[in-house]
Amino acid sequence: MAFGTVTKRFGNKLFPALSSTPRLLHSHATSFGFKHVNEEEKARMVGDVFTSVAASYDTMNDLMSAGLHRLWKERLVSMLNPFPGMKHLDVAGGTGDVAFRILDNINRVKQRRLPNAFKVSLESETQIYVCDINPNMLNVGKQRATEKGYGEDGSLVWVEGNAESLSFQNDSMDGYTIAFGIRNVTHIEKVLSEAHRVLKPGGRFLCLELSHVSLPIFKELYDLYSFSVIPRIGEMVAGDRESYQYLVESIRRFPPQEKFASMIADAGFQKVEYENLVGGVVAIHSGLKI
Amino acid sequence: MFRTAANRFLGGARHYNGNIGLRFRRPLTLITSSRYSTTENQPFSNPHSIHDAIPVSTTENPSFNDSTSSTSSSSSDDDSRRQSSKSRAKYEDEHARLLHASLTHVMKLGWTEAALMAGANDVGLSPSIVGSLSRKEAALVEFFMDECLQRLVDRIDTDETLKILSPSDCISKLIKFRLEMQAPYISIWPEALSIQAQPVNVPTSFKQRAMLVDEIWHAAGDKASDIDWYAKRTVLGGIYSTTEIYMLTDSSADFQDTWTFLDARVKDAFDLKKTIQEARYLAEAVSVGLGNSFQRFVGKVYRR
Repeated sequence: MAFGTVTKRFGNKLFPALSSTPRLLHSHATSFGFKHVNEEEKARMVGDVFTSVAASYDTMNDLMSAGLHRLWKERLVSMLNPFPGMKHLDVAGGTGDVAFRILDNINRVKQRRLPNAFKVSLESETQIYVCDINPNMLNVGKQRATEKGYGEDGSLVWVEGNAESLSFQNDSMDGYTIAFGIRNVTHIEKVLSEAHRVLKPGGRFLCLELSHVSLPIFKELYDLYSFSVIPRIGEMVAGDRESYQYLVESIRRFPPQEKFASMIADAGFQKVEYENLVGGVVAIHSGLKI
Repeated sequence: MFRTAANRFLGGARHYNGNIGLRFRRPLTLITSSRYSTTENQPFSNPHSIHDAIPVSTTENPSFNDSTSSTSSSSSDDDSRRQSSKSRAKYEDEHARLLHASLTHVMKLGWTEAALMAGANDVGLSPSIVGSLSRKEAALVEFFMDECLQRLVDRIDTDETLKILSPSDCISKLIKFRLEMQAPYISIWPEALSIQAQPVNVPTSFKQRAMLVDEIWHAAGDKASDIDWYAKRTVLGGIYSTTEIYMLTDSSADFQDTWTFLDARVKDAFDLKKTIQEARYLAEAVSVGLGNSFQRFVGKVYRR
């Protein structure tokens, strides 16, 4: 509590000084980690980050989260409750992690159910669109798909695109997921309204994102870990300290759970809920379009 | 045990204010008011109030309004609140429409997610919506229970002949009427019962049954608010549930055996009530007699 007020006061003193510099520029200011940069620059800098880490992205995820990110993605997919014949859009999922899990889940569902129970929705083919702004990440995903034998029936579609201006039709998707991606975009509101646009009525928006820990002692430990251990791991494994410094800083910049949930509700989603995993290290937000 | 349980589930415990008379009367008033709210403005408010009663780790829309209100000005806040309550009503409408459409598929697909998905398809929603229901199959069963209760209440309100029947006839007639609604689903009703018996669903199914039993007593002209309130509802709950289970294995035409069984159980219950009353009178008479002789004895001792 006291800590909170101290930082707030500190922040108030600090902010005028910081925000005055970008105001001189024509573009709006936004944050890149703890740094303030203009908007065009952020997109480019985030692009650089992911270009540089694409190859070791999944190894790094495993190392940083001690393999927990697999469970988080598994949980995301089980909350999505995929079904055969689904049209799904996975944004910022270049390496295909979430998309492969959705396909697995659908195949399991198919085996479990009676064949005639699903005539209606089986008429259409399952299609999972993986959209990522970064071609390097998509290449990693495509390569992994061929290695693991996913998407041979054409159920995976790789699309290079910006989450803020999707190239899909209105009301065309049953589901929308974005895992560890929305933190890196320049305008969260635009991404949310695009998600709302492409979803069919009854479609669901799910977002898995590193979020804010509020448990007192665990928070200190988590901060210690993320500021001193993660950049070091990044340096050793991916050979890129800066990118991982950005990662941990951008987590702190991301709106807290309640705030983000209200942003989702403002974009027009119904039944907005969120679930904290590991005390808030990650949170899964969900919304429903009616 | 039952008293505390009933209090908790009927929401009485929250309003408990130490006044014993009020405490006993509370469940009755609560149920009548909820009954009017269901008939008048929001036909499907029941399932949602039930969901609210179950603690979940997640937060829903209302709290977000509060968090936005701190940042926005008061007039736009009012606007957004009105808007969000309107859209929430829309969500509840769609939710009810989905469940209603799904019920038509239950016969073929059972009380399953598949029925819900087929229902979603029918009303033009993406089957994806099923994933947003927290207890999928249970939501369907509970919706059915609510609809049946609604039909029962409508019948009670409109059918004048019920008022001239004796309480025991009225009760067996209403239980029969209620159980007949389940008759088309009898082959899959065991499945529904097992869903209702799952630990997460027990609070809701218990509450729904308590409301059902209360409606029936209410219709039978019971205005009691003493300790009998609980006894009566327990007994009737028992009769209803045993008859429901008897019905599952009844193969007679039009469930004739079930209705005979039901009549016998209701008769037993009223006989039991009479027996208890007689026993009480006897006990009173005996105690008065004993008291007199004890008094006389004491008097004698003192006189000495």
